[in-house]
Amino acid sequence: MHTQKLTATAALVLGSTLVLGGTLGAAAQDGLFAGKTIEVVVPFGEGGATFVSAKFLEPYFEKHLPGNPDLDVVSRPGGGSILGANWFQQNARPDGSTILFTTSSTANPYVLGQKGVEYKLADYRVAYSHPFSAVAYVAPDTGITSAAGIKDSQKPLIYGGIAAAASDLPGLLSFEVLDIDVKAVLGFNGRGPVRLAFEQGELNLDYQFTPVYLTQVVPSVAEGRAVPLWTGGAMDNGVLKARDPIAPELPSVHEVYEELNGKAPSGIEWDAFQGIASVTYAYGLTGYMHPDTPQGVLDAFADAVAAINADPEFQAESLKVTNGARLNAGPDTEAAVKSALAPSAEVKDYLRTLLSEKYGVTF
Amino acid sequence: MFEHAFTALDALFDPMRLAALFAGMFVGMVFGMLPGLGGVAAVSILLPFIYYMDAYSGLAMLLGAVSVVYTSDTITSVLIGAPGSPASAPTAIEGHALAKKGQAARALGVGFLASMVGGLTGAAILFVAIPVAGPIVLLLSTPELFMFALVGLFFAASMIGKDLAKGLAAACLGVLLGVVGPAQAAADFRYTFDQVYLLDGFSLTIVALGLFGVAEVISMLAAGGGISHERVKVDHWGEGFRDFWRARWLILRAAVIGVFGGFVPAVGASASTWVAYGHAMRSTKDKSRFGRGEIRGIAASEGANNATVISDLVPTLLFSVPGGPAAAIFLGALFSFGYYPGPRMITQNPDLMFLIVWSVALTSVVGAALCFAITPALARLTRIPFAIIAAPLILIMVIGAYQSTSTMGDIFMLFVLGALGWLMKHGGWPRAPALVGFVLSGPMEQYFWLANQIHGWSWLARPGVLLIGSVIAIPVMLSVVRWLRARRHAAVAAPAPAPASGLAAATENEDIPVATPSRGISLVLAALAALMFSYALLDMFSFNPSSRLMPALAIVPGLPLSLYLLARGVQDYDNDFARDANELRVLVVLVAYAIAVWAIGVSLPTVGLIAWMLLVKARMRLWTGLIYGAAVFVAVRLLFDLLRGDAPVGALIPLS
Repeated sequence: MHTQKLTATAALVLGSTLVLGGTLGAAAQDGLFAGKTIEVVVPFGEGGATFVSAKFLEPYFEKHLPGNPDLDVVSRPGGGSILGANWFQQNARPDGSTILFTTSSTANPYVLGQKGVEYKLADYRVAYSHPFSAVAYVAPDTGITSAAGIKDSQKPLIYGGIAAAASDLPGLLSFEVLDIDVKAVLGFNGRGPVRLAFEQGELNLDYQFTPVYLTQVVPSVAEGRAVPLWTGGAMDNGVLKARDPIAPELPSVHEVYEELNGKAPSGIEWDAFQGIASVTYAYGLTGYMHPDTPQGVLDAFADAVAAINADPEFQAESLKVTNGARLNAGPDTEAAVKSALAPSAEVKDYLRTLLSEKYGVTF
Repeated sequence: MFEHAFTALDALFDPMRLAALFAGMFVGMVFGMLPGLGGVAAVSILLPFIYYMDAYSGLAMLLGAVSVVYTSDTITSVLIGAPGSPASAPTAIEGHALAKKGQAARALGVGFLASMVGGLTGAAILFVAIPVAGPIVLLLSTPELFMFALVGLFFAASMIGKDLAKGLAAACLGVLLGVVGPAQAAADFRYTFDQVYLLDGFSLTIVALGLFGVAEVISMLAAGGGISHERVKVDHWGEGFRDFWRARWLILRAAVIGVFGGFVPAVGASASTWVAYGHAMRSTKDKSRFGRGEIRGIAASEGANNATVISDLVPTLLFSVPGGPAAAIFLGALFSFGYYPGPRMITQNPDLMFLIVWSVALTSVVGAALCFAITPALARLTRIPFAIIAAPLILIMVIGAYQSTSTMGDIFMLFVLGALGWLMKHGGWPRAPALVGFVLSGPMEQYFWLANQIHGWSWLARPGVLLIGSVIAIPVMLSVVRWLRARRHAAVAAPAPAPASGLAAATENEDIPVATPSRGISLVLAALAALMFSYALLDMFSFNPSSRLMPALAIVPGLPLSLYLLARGVQDYDNDFARDANELRVLVVLVAYAIAVWAIGVSLPTVGLIAWMLLVKARMRLWTGLIYGAAVFVAVRLLFDLLRGDAPVGALIPLS
């Protein structure tokens, strides 16, 4: 349907100058989604990391979902992703044909109970999820050469971020866990400008997400202008302690704590970090569906995810972009996401107190 | 290097890729002409199609669209007076004034040629500077970015006009609009009235459309008749070419200003356009025509905005940091094709870099030529009773506004700001300072805060800061010296004719009647502004201290100024509302339309509005009106579907 509409309007807009080729009319096989369009709502702008990731995954879902549906990635920015998620709450269809594809920027305001949040994220079904790991790195002039030396910086550490209660939260919480003295300068308008400020020498401690780390920071590391420290970590039996496959040479925050303190991290700081960080990193990009979506639809997505992970073309492409990260789906993934979205009352209190006292966030 | 340049040129001259480039250019031209829809809308509508092409074709298509938008939007700005894109507001002010005097051809000719020069300069800079631009961008840290915004504001001060109190109050009002939404310094959301819609603040497109576009359309809808009272002739381009040649160095300087604007992420096109405009004003001896049709104003702003949109690609390609919103989408497309811009891109993909340069250069030239070709036909439209054009135009503005978040808030905000713009227009408040205050308050606050957090006050002594600061300091010192010298001279010699009287003489010769502001509306607006500033002052104390600086900067001068204007308004009050009753009626209908869309969805109210505009306002005959109205309606629905996939659905009766 949507394709036809697009084709018709394209003909109107572009005239005869544009030849679309025969890819649009491919005959769909019989299947659950035959002839259907699945709308993937991204609550951020076009060209942003989440939008690009959704477009990256689009052809693989079209190929491996039964009936080869059309995926239509729609951007609905506004309110720091709250507007798009609220739209989903009101308009999602319960048959799996509307997906909210988003990050912790949508999850954190929900977990913290911020004003304006109408969406009930923990009620949603989790169709699939893609890790979105992050790597911390410092400037060489701090004198720090590895994660273990983080407390011996020769200069005050300055971290740049966007807003404490959004995607910077896990990074800031990791500083709490490791008990390091960091001056956080918040108010940048994206992680790109933050990285630029790092290169300009204004900041000396930064976190970047996988694709950016691989393409922008790794060259700097090779030229001796950045020293990688640690990753957020990966899930291992419900604990965020394993090394992240994107950068297996780097320790996780969990490991760094062990090395510094000689014991495994525990306590409220760790619980808060693990909860927020797992939604941000391990399940960084998650596709949510209406709470009443039939189990059959979710199973179909789980099967498609298995097929995508096994697709050699996907493996080759993801090696370039994410160092070979794989999609997650199924009951375990859903349980992990849901538990991270429903932290204990103590963790919630801790987060709200930390954010309001240290970062002036009002609730 | 040249070998790669030729390989890239050869690659571009593949028929499929040229077709893609020109298809993109065509879409960019159309969207540039539609008020409120610019590069972002053009690029996002093309985005789905590029995935069916090879990388070079897809990217060429997007570049074709991006690089022509600021050329073709000159047409809308000049002929209609509504800026085709926010960065064209100076062109709208000067160009439309010229069009009203029957000099549209001159304004358009200069605009197109300046755009072309701007585009080519941008392309040349990309070509030459890509290997060396990296260090320049790295030199521009937060303190320098703050200084750049400050320079923009300083130059925009030249727009304030004769009534100093109203001009400054308008600028303060703009700054106040700009601080709505998230504070940069601390986690405060300012003046959001608990509306999620306001959490991101106002969209630039909607503010520009509301303040300029809606108010302009209201006036013309009420006045009836064509846009120009004289015949708009655009077949004699000669004068435009001569003006262009006379202003060639100004245009080149403006293009260089634009290029630097592009290097600065976020401040970008809007600031550099005003800086170039201010530069044009400072370098022109007779300043009296600025604001009423000064060709040099058009030359400078068109040269700058086109150069900016292209040099926006420099930070995008070198650091993956998009220089502007359209560049952000382009970056996304690069990612999708497996290109990851960054320091290594020049060595890894030299062909791609040069393909970009060629695409931009080719589109700048062909786009300008095409604009010359189609303008005579479009100019004929200006003879048609305006209400006939107003019908599609106002609906396109609604669609343009709806692009920001696709919620009803966009449409409401368009008409609320439209009402404000209309009040300002009739109350004699200049709208340009308000727009500039709005645009620059965000970056100024952000970079001031970041610079102070990172460097303390030591940033004031940075060489870059001093260098950029001298752009402000030197003209100020020169004026002071000139003033002192003039005073000494005046004291010694007999009182020579003061420059002020020369200015007055020029004003008298002016052939456009300068509308006197309505006294009633002046009073209403002053009261409204005083109310807004008072409320803003009260609410300000609930923010974290670091979030109070920028609002205070607007309120501290804004409140006394608006109180003064209120007192002046009461004194001068005269019940002259009847003069603008026609326009007031149009405004009421438009607000009613917005409420109706909220209640019962977009279709029925739109049919009603079209019928009212065509049958009542344009007095079309029933059958022609029906056919034309149906065509407009279908086109509008199609655009809604094409751009967003869904039109607003009614809250009370869920129709769409």
